[in-house]
Amino acid sequence: MSAYFGVKVEDIFATMPERFRPEGAEGISASYGYNIHGEGKWKLTVKDGKMKIGKADDLSGCATVTTTDGETFVGINLGKVDAMKAFSSGKFKVEGDFGALAKTAKMFRKYIPPQKEMSTREYILDMFATLEKRFQPKKAEGLDVTVGYDIGGEDGGKWTAVIRKGECLLKEGILGTPTVTLKVQSAADWVALMLGKIDALSLLSAGKAAITGEAPLALKLGEIFAPYVPPGEKAKEPEQELIVLRKTISVNQRFATGPVMGKFLNGLKEKKILANQCPQCKRLQLPPREVCAVCRVEATQWVEVGPKGHLAVNEIVYYASPDPLTGETRETPYGSIHVLLDGCKGNETFTHLLRPDQIFKVKETWQEEKGSRLRPVWAERRTGSIHDIKFFELDE
Amino acid sequence: MRQRMDTADCFVVEGKLALPYTYFAGRVGSKFITTIRDQKKILGVRCNHCNKVFVPPRQTCAICMEELQNNWVELQNTGEVTNFTVVRYNDKHLPRTAPFILAMIKLGGADTPMVHILEGILPEKVRIGLKVKPVFAQETTNTILDIDHFEPI
Repeated sequence: MSAYFGVKVEDIFATMPERFRPEGAEGISASYGYNIHGEGKWKLTVKDGKMKIGKADDLSGCATVTTTDGETFVGINLGKVDAMKAFSSGKFKVEGDFGALAKTAKMFRKYIPPQKEMSTREYILDMFATLEKRFQPKKAEGLDVTVGYDIGGEDGGKWTAVIRKGECLLKEGILGTPTVTLKVQSAADWVALMLGKIDALSLLSAGKAAITGEAPLALKLGEIFAPYVPPGEKAKEPEQELIVLRKTISVNQRFATGPVMGKFLNGLKEKKILANQCPQCKRLQLPPREVCAVCRVEATQWVEVGPKGHLAVNEIVYYASPDPLTGETRETPYGSIHVLLDGCKGNETFTHLLRPDQIFKVKETWQEEKGSRLRPVWAERRTGSIHDIKFFELDE
Repeated sequence: MRQRMDTADCFVVEGKLALPYTYFAGRVGSKFITTIRDQKKILGVRCNHCNKVFVPPRQTCAICMEELQNNWVELQNTGEVTNFTVVRYNDKHLPRTAPFILAMIKLGGADTPMVHILEGILPEKVRIGLKVKPVFAQETTNTILDIDHFEPI
């Protein structure tokens, strides 16, 4: 029986009776089979708000049979493995009524692995048992020293680490006079120090610890030995500094209007809204384009439309992208509108903005009913730009 | 089609597009930059499969597709010019005023060159094989310009 994430498959099943919630099993009467590769088969029976779990060889008659491996099973129960991912990758297979299996989630409280608190004595023993493993030969090059550890109290003990020729040997007791000896009155303080909960200086200054012999060597011990990591915990990697740069690039742009767009923009300068018309189908194009998009013939006739019209569509924009000409972002929400200017019909609408304080006051065109009557608000200084009209507002 | 000669209404709109963006250097790129900034050392990564040392460092070997991110190698702070170009126009995104030299520099211990600014030599005097060393920036910006430039030894 292997443990996954520190938990055995058996632990999950064995704790089912205590995790059972009768209220979650109301009205359910079914059996569920679990076939965990290399671990065995279990059968869960739920009836009349009661449950029974046990190993079983025969899983026939179960509403569902779940087939998976131990790691996936434990992982899903601990929330360390994504159930949907395991299911779609085929690691977690369900035969039978998937909906019935989903109901078992409500029947049981989540499995919480028991927290095993280590005693001070266990910590001390583990810390010294792992000392040789934590030795870093590279940091001890050329060293020929002995380090004495004198840990006081009932849970304490005495050890000597012999560091020579890039190797470290730990012996019990204090051997002769070590190069440096660390003496701590209480084993609990030593555990706290090794777990990084207190620092050496505060222990020393409080007189709870003492260093005899070559004190500078004591300072190097933090390098010679890798930090102690309690069993079951992963060594913490120091947080890496990640670089994020926030920049704004500025790109110069030039837009050549051409004769058609130029005529339209120059018209705005004189408070005129000009559309051009297809000689064949007579439809208006606003803003104008050189060629009729439908007939593909040159649209040469010009028609002045508006400037007032009826609102067709009002789109309220909550997420604005930057203005391509300035990089500035408009205040949201704003109304992006389609206006059917006087003289235009059908879909020949003109796209512009609505006065910000009126975006919730206007009425859109709905079937036969015309939308709100709007008029353009012209800019004082007009340069031949779409912004020569500041926005449209209610014509009241 | 009739040639439209009437250009009376044509004009040009000048604009300036500002693009705010966020650049994340990633774990590998961040370590490369912070090591240059804090330790004045240039790091590369070695591919254990093809044994090539890449600089600037990358997460994956382009040839073998091996994971490289933990195979850090400290490079020598000297190298040689494997190629170069002289930038002869000015633009606001360029790091220097023209003319200046952009060189491909292969540092000792690396198998790939890195591009950087070469100063302290006239453009007409630069030759492939020139021995150069980095000059680290006084004021750091968390960019590759934490190496201010390279100069001849």
